[in-house]
Amino acid sequence: MAKKDKDDEDFRPTGTIAVLAIFVVTLIAIWATIYMILVGRGGTL
Amino acid sequence: MKQYQLSTGEKKFIGSHLLVAILSLAVGSLFGPLQAFEHAGWDFYPYLRPWIKSYYQGLTVHGVLNALVWTTFFIMGFLTFNVIFGLKRPLKNPTLNKVGFWLMVVGVVAAAIPILANQATVLFTFYPPLKANWAFYVGLTLVVVGSWVEGWGLFMTFAAWRKENPNVTSPFIAFASVVTALLWQICTLGVAVEILTMLLPWSLGLIEGVDPQLARTYFWFTGHPLVYFWLLPAYLSWYAMLPKQAGNGKMFSDSLARLSFWVFLVLSTPIGIHHQYVDPGVSPAWKFLHSMFTFGVFFPSMMTAFTVVASLEHAGRKNGGKGALAWIGKLNWADPSVAAQLLAGILFFFGGIGGLTNASYNVNLVLHNTAFIPGHFHLTVATAVTLSFMGISYWLLPYLTGRKLWQPKWAVAQSWIWFIGMIIFSNSMHVLGLLGAPRRVPLGLAPYVPAEWNSRLFQVGVGGAILFISGSIYLTIMLMTALNKEKVTEEVEVPIAESMQDVSLTPVWLDRWAPWIYGALGLIVLMYGPVLFEMIKNIALTSPGFRVW
Amino acid sequence: MSANKIHIDRYERNWMMFTAVLLVLFATAVSVSAFGMGIQVPAPEQRVDPKTVGTDPNSPWSSPGLREVAPGKYDAYILARAVPTWEYLPKEITIPAGSSVSFYVTSSDVQHGFKIQDTNANFMVLPGQVSKLTIKFDKPGTYNYICTEYCGSGHGIMYGAIIVTP
Repeated sequence: MAKKDKDDEDFRPTGTIAVLAIFVVTLIAIWATIYMILVGRGGTL
Repeated sequence: MKQYQLSTGEKKFIGSHLLVAILSLAVGSLFGPLQAFEHAGWDFYPYLRPWIKSYYQGLTVHGVLNALVWTTFFIMGFLTFNVIFGLKRPLKNPTLNKVGFWLMVVGVVAAAIPILANQATVLFTFYPPLKANWAFYVGLTLVVVGSWVEGWGLFMTFAAWRKENPNVTSPFIAFASVVTALLWQICTLGVAVEILTMLLPWSLGLIEGVDPQLARTYFWFTGHPLVYFWLLPAYLSWYAMLPKQAGNGKMFSDSLARLSFWVFLVLSTPIGIHHQYVDPGVSPAWKFLHSMFTFGVFFPSMMTAFTVVASLEHAGRKNGGKGALAWIGKLNWADPSVAAQLLAGILFFFGGIGGLTNASYNVNLVLHNTAFIPGHFHLTVATAVTLSFMGISYWLLPYLTGRKLWQPKWAVAQSWIWFIGMIIFSNSMHVLGLLGAPRRVPLGLAPYVPAEWNSRLFQVGVGGAILFISGSIYLTIMLMTALNKEKVTEEVEVPIAESMQDVSLTPVWLDRWAPWIYGALGLIVLMYGPVLFEMIKNIALTSPGFRVW
Repeated sequence: MSANKIHIDRYERNWMMFTAVLLVLFATAVSVSAFGMGIQVPAPEQRVDPKTVGTDPNSPWSSPGLREVAPGKYDAYILARAVPTWEYLPKEITIPAGSSVSFYVTSSDVQHGFKIQDTNANFMVLPGQVSKLTIKFDKPGTYNYICTEYCGSGHGIMYGAIIVTP
């Protein structure tokens, strides 16, 4: 199996964090929008 | 280093899975756009009357062939390839696998006959008391049993390999394939019990009625993990193949990849009640518990997102990519297999968002059975899964046949066209759902459609048309590749991304099967046992069948 | 194979912890709306025999419609059916604004859905089961209730209306 390359040791997934940050912001925005529709329509009991 | 060689017979066997899969996709995909066109007010169904009686018969063909047949055949073929190639050994008992394959084929034919005769227009969820011809249920049973038999063949092969290699970490692609096959064996128990104890005897006239609430519960026992049966082979490719194809990248974490597959095995079945939040006969306590576990299964999905993106980033940096996001442009977008899978992955982010929202307990009141749902699953099964499988076939078909991929540039274009068409289609479906449009309705004719839906309905039609173009290009490429006189000079290299960390450092407990399997079964007993016990104790077989199509 | 401890990259570990926090937040928001604000999903209400539920004189669904149980409070018994044709009984309900209506919906044949537009009433209707949710109508207007589950060729024409008068 592969030995660890030097550049693999130094690899820091900063771009991944950037991609996932965009994802999380979108997720929260969409989820919260629909959640607010739910709350705005009121109780069911 | 020369790669492990599959025999011609093995390649043919895997290829025959692809053949059935792609033929099903070809027929099923004819009807997808017809549904979309109907929404936009361009109803072609009246012209099809001699062959296809209604919108719903078309929708049944589309759902069964695309969501069930295309996926299952492609997956069983791909898993078989991964097991043989990953373990570098032939199947332990190839006859068993062949028997499984042919059972599946007979099953598809048996189910297709009543569907085409308009005797099984029950859609791919076949909720009773809509009652199809018995052959439909027999056909579904044979497809499931056939896939079990093929799965047993894979398990035997893995066990034989383990015996020969007692102290080696299992190769990831074989490991992940066997976990996927195992998940399928466990979760299909629900639909097997539904058909064998209720629907089949009922359709044969042996029992008078069924219990629709119990039937739904059995169905969703299978129905949710079915989603993971579709997704895991795509994940496998994203984890272990795509980084290599995208720029010689390595898999960021072998351990976490395995861990996420195990968590999927354990958590994807005992959460099925999140499809039944608004069912009358299930108590809110169980619904809530299943919703909390559903949040749990989002966890391995987020791990997958990290590991896959990081592995791709590794590839992008190797290709000279810089910046926070600019490295994405340095991936091998010119490779059709890469373009297809990257675009599939991008849309899957949105599929995940919709999925989490649907599954958030009472939030489902806003979305249940609206157009949001088909909008959502066209991002998951029809893009994350289907577009990835298309991408896989762009290297797998040349590998299996030894023929060059016909017009790779067209293949890249096909992926982009699918991506664009799906954005238009799916976005408008999601919005329609939020505006209150129901699913499974020929909205072009529905009497209650307000004017504000019209622009979105038009976009559904436009998206469908673009998807139809993309699907046609895909099928043409597959056909022309299979007939291509130009042969590849040497066997197509199977893309396998090495692990960034030494695989021998993968913890032993990630390569032990028993604890995870017991865990999966135990959790199912805990999460479904009391619900099913109560329902079966109070079973009321009071619903006679109806044919109202 | 010798390792036992799983190695997790620092970035990925942080991501996993962040994911856990995010999911806890979502779960909390859901719990508050469900248990704090009473936005709940249907609970088991009653079992019925679908073959007789629409005809048995003792069944409230043999004369579906609205009953006033207290000032401004109503029970609405609604029958969903595909046979002889796709319809809800009654097809129309009229109530004054500010009314609170408990909907009791069942089916005499196949599975149906029941969704009142612009409200949180959205549930399955199964033969043999009764689905119940309660909705308060403050704003005058017409609220369609539509079928959201495939119930045969007439699924798309199946709807009714609640008219909320000022």
